[in-house]
Amino acid sequence: MGAPRLTRRAFLRLLLLAGIGGGLAFAERRTQPAGLRQFLTWLLRGWRRRVEPPATVALGTSLSHDEALLRDALMALWDQAGMPNVAGKRVLVKPNLIEWIEGRPLVTAPEVVGAILDVLRARGAAEIVVGEGPGFRRDAGPVVEQSGLAAVLARRGIPFIDLNYDDPQPVPARDGWFPRQPRLWLPRHVVEADLIVSAAKLKTHHWAGVTLSLKNLFGVAPGIRYGWPKNMLHVNGLTPSILGLRQSLPPVVSVVDGVVGMEGDGPLFGTPVPHGVLLVGADPLAVDVIGAQLMGFEPEEIEYLSWGVWAGVGQGVRIEVQGAPLEALRRRYQRPPK
Amino acid sequence: MGPPRDPLSRNARAFLARSQNPDGGWGYRFGSPSVTEPTSVVLIALSPDLEAAPAVERARRWLQSAQRPDGGWGLDPTDPESHWMTAWGILGLARLDPHASEVARGVRWLIELLIIRIEAAELTAEVRRTLRIDPRLRGWPWRPGEASWVEPTALALLALHAASAVETHRDRITEAVGYLADRRCVGGGWNFGNPFMLGANLPPRPHPTAWALLALRILSPQAIRPEDVTALRAEMDRDGGAMALALGQLALTAIGIEDPEARERLQRQQAPDGSWESSPYVTALSALALNGGWPWAPRG
Repeated sequence: MGAPRLTRRAFLRLLLLAGIGGGLAFAERRTQPAGLRQFLTWLLRGWRRRVEPPATVALGTSLSHDEALLRDALMALWDQAGMPNVAGKRVLVKPNLIEWIEGRPLVTAPEVVGAILDVLRARGAAEIVVGEGPGFRRDAGPVVEQSGLAAVLARRGIPFIDLNYDDPQPVPARDGWFPRQPRLWLPRHVVEADLIVSAAKLKTHHWAGVTLSLKNLFGVAPGIRYGWPKNMLHVNGLTPSILGLRQSLPPVVSVVDGVVGMEGDGPLFGTPVPHGVLLVGADPLAVDVIGAQLMGFEPEEIEYLSWGVWAGVGQGVRIEVQGAPLEALRRRYQRPPK
Repeated sequence: MGPPRDPLSRNARAFLARSQNPDGGWGYRFGSPSVTEPTSVVLIALSPDLEAAPAVERARRWLQSAQRPDGGWGLDPTDPESHWMTAWGILGLARLDPHASEVARGVRWLIELLIIRIEAAELTAEVRRTLRIDPRLRGWPWRPGEASWVEPTALALLALHAASAVETHRDRITEAVGYLADRRCVGGGWNFGNPFMLGANLPPRPHPTAWALLALRILSPQAIRPEDVTALRAEMDRDGGAMALALGQLALTAIGIEDPEARERLQRQQAPDGSWESSPYVTALSALALNGGWPWAPRG
């Protein structure tokens, strides 16, 4: 019997298989370190967002830091934004307390944090704590004290947790944004929360372009595991870390304090902008897209927003703004230095 | 050495004894799980006290059990990665026996650790321009494979000194001392890493400044400048927290400087239960600061 002959049809099949295999191998290589499967997951989810219902972001105005006025304003915005039911839930409020430098609007105004706490109490949250792990302070206590937040919390009997020291525990790093780390170490109060309220400041940021409710989540990385100022998040890449933290945490909703924003050399050395805006929303990506627009940025200019929209980390395309008119409140913040 | 006589110190030590976990370690807060850093700090604070010998022995065993197979330490025995806590593991055990085999394995881990160093000429020039640092100098990072930072560098230097490993690793120590000198802020003191970023000088901060000064006092006292001390005192005053005051006091005492005002401010923050901030870690630092200082520091 002679050797089997390779027919023309079989040859073409082999060629096709080799082409598919080679293409897949090439695509796998091009999509490292996430890999082809993860890349396709992001791509398809991003497309799906375009046909999903819009996210709602409530936009309000307040030029005042009066706690009662802020509470009333936030209460209304909370309803307009269709925020989740917090009754009976454990809620962690995470303000931006990166550092304290006298005269600089670095931190989420304590009055805004106080108003959030009042809203959560009024809506029946079972357990509320405020927590932050400052990137540039080994001890959060003095920042809490000097910023005025300590007095706001004392009046309401709400505890403050320094997340840099809060019994870190490992959780799965989800959605492929930390390809070299299957697990992230996160503070106990973060892991155990039913809901996290990212209470951010409206600021420019010299690395990320802007810092809003997603970048604010960097403060949950515990310093005792990752050091100060959480260098691991920068080594992993700013954008993957911003999006990856969001995906690895319990549900996150957003409140952004733009009563006085910061432009120029943020997040530490920028200058104040009395802007008088407040943002509330259940989808942090949507809130940040609107926050960036309020500062005069287009989402495409900010890498973490454009990647987040592309990968469908939230609803970044179809956003319904409730309340005050966005265009009337848009400013052009001075850009951070390159 | 016998037990401390003054009531402030006795109360602090009683709090530390109460807050020891059943496993022998201490957490950052009362009742929280044991972690390498607070366990070592408390062990160091309690070690001269003969009455505390059983507690110290339990702490020693906890530190031994927390050492990882590669010789380093993580947060606790469940942490799958050795990192900056290794310096604390060495310090705790070296306080009892600088020649213990665990100490030697910890030192080896520190010395063999992979650390980012930029050597390409064009990159070096760019980093010098934008950050005003010499990226060829290595200190120690928070985590393996990352860049060097001030506090882990100072702690690693202190650990090598406590482990009597200075002469064996003289070149590495000289480089790390050079790293600290290079990262000094304009006007003195230290921030966490770079002294300059994107056109702005970064301000000194009390904790890294105190650790850097303590390490330099022990390993290279001539590298200390008067403005570093001035910056530390200003930052202690501005921060005002017990941790900053205690660390600052440790550094100042090692340098031979008295700051009665800061000392009194720290004393006033002691709670009725003997603690500072209900934290074994801050309490141990405060007890050390108010009673003799860093045990390896030369006096005066």
